[in-house]
Amino acid sequence: MATTIAQLTLTSSDLLSDTLELTTLASIIAANTNGLTRKKVLKTAVHADALVIYTADDFAAPASIYIKNTADYHASDNIVYVYDDTTSGDPVILKLHGGAFAFMPTNADKTLKAYSSTSGTVLESMVIGTDQ
Amino acid sequence: MATTTATITINSSDLTGDALSLSTTTTLYKAGQTVGLENTSGVGRTTYTAAVTDTVLFADDSYADAGAHKLYIANKATDATHYIEIKVEAVTLGRLYAGDWMFIPWDADAGTDIKVTTAHAGVVVEYMAIFE
Repeated sequence: MATTIAQLTLTSSDLLSDTLELTTLASIIAANTNGLTRKKVLKTAVHADALVIYTADDFAAPASIYIKNTADYHASDNIVYVYDDTTSGDPVILKLHGGAFAFMPTNADKTLKAYSSTSGTVLESMVIGTDQ
Repeated sequence: MATTTATITINSSDLTGDALSLSTTTTLYKAGQTVGLENTSGVGRTTYTAAVTDTVLFADDSYADAGAHKLYIANKATDATHYIEIKVEAVTLGRLYAGDWMFIPWDADAGTDIKVTTAHAGVVVEYMAIFE
């Protein structure tokens, strides 16, 4: 079984009167990944052909998902919306501006798709888990 | 304005045939602006002395709608079986097992409370919001 180390560091010298420096580290014990993918988000709304980030039940629970919007920051362009395609109503669970990333767990039983405010926004993602 | 950065690194020597080494940093901006987030909840740490179901960790009505808030949540349990399940209102994101963490953007729109469910007593959850 492979070991993957995921580390988050939050830093600021002026958010608080004292310096903020938070570092946390998780060891993910899992054998499989779909690889670090880089794809264009072409759809601009919920759509049957929207970019699939993860397909339900590809992995056993739990799995971890990393998603990054590679675009430069813009107030209204290139905003990526990640939604749960399995749940009724296709609820949006993440809104990523250019440059933003997310790292979160998934129970691996829901399909996650993405659309963007600007067609062609490039999204990177990776799922780490155990094949089933 | 404050400048806060988040850096994620993901490393593994054995998940893939070649070593995996990923690192990316983002600056935490307000929605639609290149102005840094200015507020924080501070790093909170809660011990759930009994199992809880859908306890609100971050209430959407306590934060500005349509924001570009950022949330950090970590499960500091040491028993590997002690997970916390994270929901955005009724939509389950996934489970954080002992030592796992997550970092996501959050718009705090109505109906997006961040909720925690634990199945065991004594689970320690660490959390922080950096918000507008």
